[in-house]
Amino acid sequence: MNNSNRFILYDDKDEFEYNKNKADLDIKFNRVSFIFFVFFIISIIYSIHLIHLGSRKSDLSNSNQLKITNKLHRADIVDRNGSFLAKTVSSIDIGINPVDVIDQKKLLLNLGYIFRDKNYEPIKARLKKKKFFWFEKTITDNNYEKIMMLGDKSIQAEEKLLRIYPQKNLFSHIIGQIDNDNLGISGLEKSLDKQLKNNKISVQLTVDKNIQFLIREELLKYNKIFRAKGSATILMDVNNGEIISIVSLPDFDPNKREKIIDVNYINRATKGIYEFGSVFKTFTLAAAFNEKIIEPKTEFIDLPKSLTCDGSLIREYNNKISSNLTVEQILIQSGNIGSVRIGQKIGEEKYKLFLSKLGIIGGINFDIEEVGRPIKFNWGKCPLATASFGHGITTTLIQVVKAYSIIVNGGFDVNPTLVKKNKKTKKEKILNQDVTKKILPILRKIVSTKEGTAKLANVNGYEIGGKTGTANKVSGGVYSNKKINTFVSVFPTSKPKFILAVMLEEPEINEDYIYEYRDGSNFKLKGSPRNTAGWNSVEVAGHIIEKIGPILATKYNEVY
Amino acid sequence: MTKFAVFVLIFFLIISTLIIKNSTKEIEDEIYNVKENLLFLENRLKDSKLEFDYLSSSEKLLEFQKLYFENSLQKKSLQEIKTLKTYNSEIKIGNLTILGKNYE
Repeated sequence: MNNSNRFILYDDKDEFEYNKNKADLDIKFNRVSFIFFVFFIISIIYSIHLIHLGSRKSDLSNSNQLKITNKLHRADIVDRNGSFLAKTVSSIDIGINPVDVIDQKKLLLNLGYIFRDKNYEPIKARLKKKKFFWFEKTITDNNYEKIMMLGDKSIQAEEKLLRIYPQKNLFSHIIGQIDNDNLGISGLEKSLDKQLKNNKISVQLTVDKNIQFLIREELLKYNKIFRAKGSATILMDVNNGEIISIVSLPDFDPNKREKIIDVNYINRATKGIYEFGSVFKTFTLAAAFNEKIIEPKTEFIDLPKSLTCDGSLIREYNNKISSNLTVEQILIQSGNIGSVRIGQKIGEEKYKLFLSKLGIIGGINFDIEEVGRPIKFNWGKCPLATASFGHGITTTLIQVVKAYSIIVNGGFDVNPTLVKKNKKTKKEKILNQDVTKKILPILRKIVSTKEGTAKLANVNGYEIGGKTGTANKVSGGVYSNKKINTFVSVFPTSKPKFILAVMLEEPEINEDYIYEYRDGSNFKLKGSPRNTAGWNSVEVAGHIIEKIGPILATKYNEVY
Repeated sequence: MTKFAVFVLIFFLIISTLIIKNSTKEIEDEIYNVKENLLFLENRLKDSKLEFDYLSSSEKLLEFQKLYFENSLQKKSLQEIKTLKTYNSEIKIGNLTILGKNYE
């Protein structure tokens, strides 16, 4: 039989053949993915819940019992010892929302128990108006606790932040004040506005509250004695420019938040622009020493008693001043003609450059914005002559202090500062070393010798040196009889550490004041012989140093 | 099996996250409370410091001096103040100068 012709019929009904069914597979896969999807959704819900839990605030802060006005955050300002000069304190105000009042009688009874002296008739009237109103402002912590114990929904508390100045008038000119919108409007409150708003850490200043107090007390006392229109003092560390005290009188209480419009309240230490007179003679000598033109013992022979320049008369303030003077004697006796001669030797360009190096002409970068800019000086032959003894040229007291510091600290540039800096800046030497060496003994002799103009400041133990300056005040474009009397003192002259400048504006002679000489003679003199710096500013400086000296010697030194 | 393992892992992670988060929630609350208390105490310290500043200010001290110690508190000059130092169990008294101690 031929197999090729045979047909075999298979009945595959009962046969099994494994065959992957695609449709079945899809159903299984969809089931797993569905379960995953459900878990995914659950996990998402949990994640959202977890994020919510993590980001939620505490129940305490959710309470609407006390709203805090964070808008008024402002960092404190402290002095070099950590005493508060400006502080932000909170005060709690209590308001009532009449809409939420459930039992008016009960509420008034409870409030009457806490605030017994309050008149409740107007409160009742306001409760009827159904509008929110302030019930009591700036309440004590004790009363706040009692009010919160009432648990009345209608009572709403709001914490407000207030800026207080615990030292009152003491630092008014440098701290300044803020307005109702927490915006600094003067002093450091203005210049450090951003820093105070953004930082939580207190801003530390270089000033010392106690020293400031003692200096201000003395200045107030002598302002009365010499009937001065105003006065200013600056005490500064000559080596780093840190201002330990800066006083300007009259001053004001920033807590009263008055708008100061009277020009007499100007900051005389930084903003007031004055001619300082003979104080400039130190700059003339220092410039000549720096240029190595003269030596302290260089002699000037046959100096005239007066000379004219462009029709203006320049003369000695005292005819007793000798015609033959050494450079040293010119400064000690405060000779005008001798200073003019030295100025002429230096020359206009070099003198101008020197004053510019010291920061006398032009502006000064200071921590507060209330800084004066000296009036532009038109240089020339005669202006050079007058500038060499401090006539016709203007500047501010802070600039004079800076310039003296550079001269006595070895010639290193310093910038007066009010804000304490932790970083030490590299000192830049801008004058020759021998300028300090040559000038200091002369400044000391101005205070320690009979010929000097500042004998009244020779307080024992402090080696005070300095220079006086008596200038006529310009009023209405002409020189008046009113005076600007200044004394810039440096101590100790063996190793200068502090500089104290005292300036009295429009002082007068006091015929009853008794001067006690400090030369050991116990000599007393009644009444001021002349209205010069030597008879008022020097006297004030002497008394200030006598008072603050022991503190400076102990607190500002390693004595243990 | 792998899918099951992944599922178990994810489930385990979710559960463990929940447990950890729940337990840290209490710690977080505690930290928050401590911080709040610290802030309160800091404010109290500042207020006390402010009070101390006021009571120990030069102005107040001079007032107290006038009230209670008019005759017992006297101004001292620099020469009257001395410094004391022990060196090799020997006491050295020095003069106070504006520049600090002087034992010479």
